[in-house]
Amino acid sequence: MADKSVLYKNLVKHKWRYAKGLFFLIIINILQILVPKITGIVVDGLKSLSLDNKDLLYYGALMILISLMIFVSHYLSRVQVLGASNLFDYEVRNEMFDHMLSLSMRFFHKSRVGDLMALATNDLGSLRMILSRGFNLVTNTIILLVGSIVVMAGYMDLRLTIYAFLPFPFLVWIMIKFGPMINRRFRRVQESFSDLTRKTQENVSGIRVIKAFVQEKNEIDNFARLNQENFDINMALARVQAIFYPSIGLISSLSFLITFIYGGNLVINGTITLGDFVAFNGYLGIIIRPIISIGMIINFTQRAKASADRIHMLFQQQPEIVDVGMPDSDQEKQQWQKGIEGKIEFRNLTFSYDKNEPPVLKNINLTIEPGKTLGIIGKVGSGKSTIANLILRLYNPMEEGQLLIDGVDITKVPLKLLRESIGYVPQDNFLFSSSIKSNIGFTPEEPDMDEIRRAAQISQIDDTIMELPHQYETMLGERGVNLSGGQKQRVSIARALVKDPSILILDDCLSAVDTNTERKILDQLKPFMEKRTCIIIAHRISTLQDADEIIVLDEGRIIERGNHEELLAKQGYYYRIYQRQLLEEEIERA
Amino acid sequence: MEQDKKSLRRVYDRVVIKKMLTFAKPYWYMFAIALILIFAVTGASLARPYITKIGIDKYMTGYSDGTMSAQQASKGIWYLGILFLALIIVEFVFNYLQHYILELGGKRIIKDIRQKIFSHMQYLPLSYFDKMAAGRIVTRITNDPETINEMFSSVMVGFIRSIVEMAAIIVIMFRLSYRLTLVSFTVLPLIVLASVLFRRTARKVWQRIRTKLSAINAFLAEHLAGMKIIQVFNMQEKKYQEFDQINSEYYDAHMKRVVIFGIFRPFMDVVKTLTVALLLWYGGRNILAGLLEFGTLYMFVDYIGRFYHPIMELTEQFNVLQSSIVSAERVFNLLEEAQEQNVKGKIKDIGEIKGQIEFKNVWFAYVGENWVLKDVSFKIEPGESVAFVGATGAGKTSIINLLCGFYEHQKGQILIDGIDIRDIGKERLRKNIGLVLQDVSLFSGDIATNIRLFDSHISMEEVEKAAKHVNAHDFIQKLNGGYAHQVGEGGATLSVGQRQLISFARALIRDPKILVMDEATSHVDTETEILIQDALVNLMKGRTTIAIAHRLSTIQNADKIIVIHKGRIREMGNHQELLNKRGLYYNLYRLQYDQEYKVV
Ligand SMILES: Nc1ncnc2c1ncn2[C@@H]1O[C@H](COP(=O)(O)OP(=O)(O)OP(=O)(O)O)[C@@H](O)[C@H]1O
Ligand SMILES: Nc1ncnc2c1ncn2[C@@H]1O[C@H](COP(=O)(O)OP(=O)(O)OP(=O)(O)O)[C@@H](O)[C@H]1O
Ligand SMILES: [Mg+2]
Ligand SMILES: [Mg+2]
Repeated sequence: MADKSVLYKNLVKHKWRYAKGLFFLIIINILQILVPKITGIVVDGLKSLSLDNKDLLYYGALMILISLMIFVSHYLSRVQVLGASNLFDYEVRNEMFDHMLSLSMRFFHKSRVGDLMALATNDLGSLRMILSRGFNLVTNTIILLVGSIVVMAGYMDLRLTIYAFLPFPFLVWIMIKFGPMINRRFRRVQESFSDLTRKTQENVSGIRVIKAFVQEKNEIDNFARLNQENFDINMALARVQAIFYPSIGLISSLSFLITFIYGGNLVINGTITLGDFVAFNGYLGIIIRPIISIGMIINFTQRAKASADRIHMLFQQQPEIVDVGMPDSDQEKQQWQKGIEGKIEFRNLTFSYDKNEPPVLKNINLTIEPGKTLGIIGKVGSGKSTIANLILRLYNPMEEGQLLIDGVDITKVPLKLLRESIGYVPQDNFLFSSSIKSNIGFTPEEPDMDEIRRAAQISQIDDTIMELPHQYETMLGERGVNLSGGQKQRVSIARALVKDPSILILDDCLSAVDTNTERKILDQLKPFMEKRTCIIIAHRISTLQDADEIIVLDEGRIIERGNHEELLAKQGYYYRIYQRQLLEEEIERA
Repeated sequence: MEQDKKSLRRVYDRVVIKKMLTFAKPYWYMFAIALILIFAVTGASLARPYITKIGIDKYMTGYSDGTMSAQQASKGIWYLGILFLALIIVEFVFNYLQHYILELGGKRIIKDIRQKIFSHMQYLPLSYFDKMAAGRIVTRITNDPETINEMFSSVMVGFIRSIVEMAAIIVIMFRLSYRLTLVSFTVLPLIVLASVLFRRTARKVWQRIRTKLSAINAFLAEHLAGMKIIQVFNMQEKKYQEFDQINSEYYDAHMKRVVIFGIFRPFMDVVKTLTVALLLWYGGRNILAGLLEFGTLYMFVDYIGRFYHPIMELTEQFNVLQSSIVSAERVFNLLEEAQEQNVKGKIKDIGEIKGQIEFKNVWFAYVGENWVLKDVSFKIEPGESVAFVGATGAGKTSIINLLCGFYEHQKGQILIDGIDIRDIGKERLRKNIGLVLQDVSLFSGDIATNIRLFDSHISMEEVEKAAKHVNAHDFIQKLNGGYAHQVGEGGATLSVGQRQLISFARALIRDPKILVMDEATSHVDTETEILIQDALVNLMKGRTTIAIAHRLSTIQNADKIIVIHKGRIREMGNHQELLNKRGLYYNLYRLQYDQEYKVV
């Protein structure tokens, strides 16, 4: 139960608001009894003609006064209770996002964006709705129940009462039976909504492919299937609810029926008086109202539980990549005072993305001294990006082997410091829908314009940006849709450079850039790279031939290593690739 | 990209409601039945106290008065009891049916609306998606219809019921005393005024709420997809603050709603008490003056209580109506977006496309007059292979975008086999083009589905064949589950090169007349690339192929090379011709060659 804390904690946090709301609700209930009382007094007074005009005015004014008090209490209780549920909604959503920010790539690869969206809007929203309405409902029901029990206490005909309450075990039975059913079905409703969100989300993000391959009709059919499913599932819930409330109504009506027949006969027998009978009917009416509300409460709580469980599942996901050391301790602070120097060392490292899957990297032994450059080349899927992922600690190394940064096991390096020290250009670049300026200045430090422009100049994008109507303030679409492939890559390079990192990782990031520009970028990068540890992943030898060491990866193994000349001398894979790349151009050149 | 502003545009309620009702039209009979059932249930529940009354008046008092025997009385009670039972059973069944039918109608309408928006959205032009955040579109398709639901399942029928109830009570009230009725109607202006004020503010508040919800979805969609970059760049805190900002705006909007509704509903209570007070005062004076009977006033007060019941209901329904109208507006706004033009094309029968492509003085800009392509003209014969080269941002991908009809060019003409592409129709056009997009995107699902997409007529053999052509078969087989291997969203669990190969296979499998490869092998290693090139030699036979690549080596075999510079065609010809020209291409080539030749 300790895990329930996130939802529970946020609920309890606002207990005073609920207390205040409760207070005003009670006031309202008390005041509300007064209005008919006054009406009664006036009516009685009029009947006996014992009132004069002044009295009328007085009572009228009193009634209005009371109603104004009710108005204020109403308003205050709503602000307290609904305010608390809105705060709950707001705070939990923040915590949800905060939690997601801490989760690892492994989590994001197995979950779908659309599902998470549905969780943060639809599930949380229904929880909020139920919390606000539910609280009022529960309070009013309790007040009513207490009231009617007080009223009932004055009158008891044991036999009649027993008979009248005969159907009530059925009521309990219905509630027990329907409760879990509503829960299950509501859960499925929420899941199905999630499915719709996911489908739409993926469809919109992949719309270019959908259009290019004329899949619109198929997608409409796919959506129609989910839509129909959503309809069916909703109807399954509606069916239960449609029968749930009337059943409760039916059973409470049975009480009236029994009272009528049995009580009527008792009157005829002379066991009770007609007055008793009428009174009993009245009391029954009073006690049954809150009982019908209990049905609604059950509906609400079961629905709340379904959504809460779903949200809870997200909070149960433990962040996998966390600081194991104590980044705040003096010892560590001292150790990392000067930041990361940039020595990277793989010691016999074997890695797989999943325990059940074959390793992607096998026995990697590799040392990159600070300020040196490593080139990585190799086939598609040979594990090049995985090396980058590990250095970035997007994944924890497995038990086998070690990855050391500045001689310290990577899991012991403060995470924030590690990532702060790495400039990373991903292979699949991702830009955000904000200005170019904030896309390049994508660090917590908020670099100034000069730094941003310098980085843009190195990556040869400054001129292009300056030609745009709004220059650095140009807004990008999602994922930078309004830039060309090469422009996106260069913005993404600038983003890595602006951090002034001690380690620079370029993962196949010049692939969409023409040779001319590529050359310029590499030339400009040279002085920048001199002081830093660099890892360049590329398929073109021209991109990485100047590296201090080049490794050739094949199916997760280093099959060749050395600098450009050494590798050529080996006459292996590297040499073959080099010949091919050269040859193609030579043939035609003749 | 604040696109939702547009939805703030005022649309007349009547228009929106009318449009909403058109969705309800096919199910009108359901709502009619539900209405009848509701009245029947109301009737039945009103009959119950009446039965009790008869039981008391006729039998119980009858017995005590001695007008009937105990047996007769008891029998009478039993009969009435059976009637009572019948009534509650009828009530139960009707209640169930009524509830069920309303839900059925409401949910069907929601289903229809969803289907309609999704289908409409499928055919919106790419320029719409460029400027609209994905999360916002998602909100309109999933969340917004959910809000409209209540309009149909509770408001529509409830509204009629309340109106009828109110009308009935007004008639009774007038019959009792038109003077008292008029007196109690003096508060009506208050109700009207409150409603008008409420409507205006409530609408704004709902619009804010929906817009902010949309913003939350947009933010989440984008940032969850870009989580890797956020984490790597240590931007968690900043992004958290950005999210907090949007989220708190959403909270504020909700709090505004709480305040407004917190005033409006309780205010109606005040009006109600005010009416009663007014009546007692006015009626009381008249009674004291002997102008009014006591009984009339007594009943009147009772009826005022009843009169406010439907009014309170209407108030609640009015709330729901406001939020439904706002959501409906958003939905209709999307439905009003112009779809892609010429999807089907004018010319019905053009036979098989041969693959001749011609651009005639084409001018194109994504926005305004920012020309990205300027006066582009070229002609590609069927079966020819052509390569586009040029610096990044020159406009190569844009040419492809036009060829596939993703965007509309502003000037000039694009012809396929001599027919304007607008006449051919986008669907037929795209079916004949196999496109390898520069930006690879995969869907979550298995590998096979990612290759064949949702065309179920494509067999597994064909999938494998295509995968073999691009040399992807080997790695796919090694994956857990092979072709049934599930990839994460966007293909995130594959290496980038692997994703590119799959997207390549996707284009080949459809056996297109025109093959377009936009940087199709940019993330592929040289060995694999060569294998693909070899396979392509065969595959290209009988097809027009267009390749865009920065590596001249991959394109120099093309029949024709077109050099683009800043949106204009600068050179055209085969490799040798262009080299001889000693122009742009020559420079590009020299540079690349020198660079790769340098160290030997
Ligand atoms: N969707 C869009 N909206 C607005 N402008 C765009 C859009 N797509 C591209 N552009 C702009 O149009 C110009 C040409 O882009 P295009 O994608 O055609 O270049 P490209 O030649 O393919 O470049 P690359 O080699 O980098 O892929 C660029 O300046 C780019 O910023
Ligand atoms: N998140 C992941 N989960 C599971 N498997 C993965 C994941 N990412 C990559 N893989 C697998 O690990 C292997 C190595 O992938 P990696 O991305 O390191 O290749 P790469 O050398 O960078 O290839 P490319 O040149 O195509 O970019 C591939 O077989 C890939 O399918
Ligand atoms: Mg990679
Ligand atoms: Mg391009």
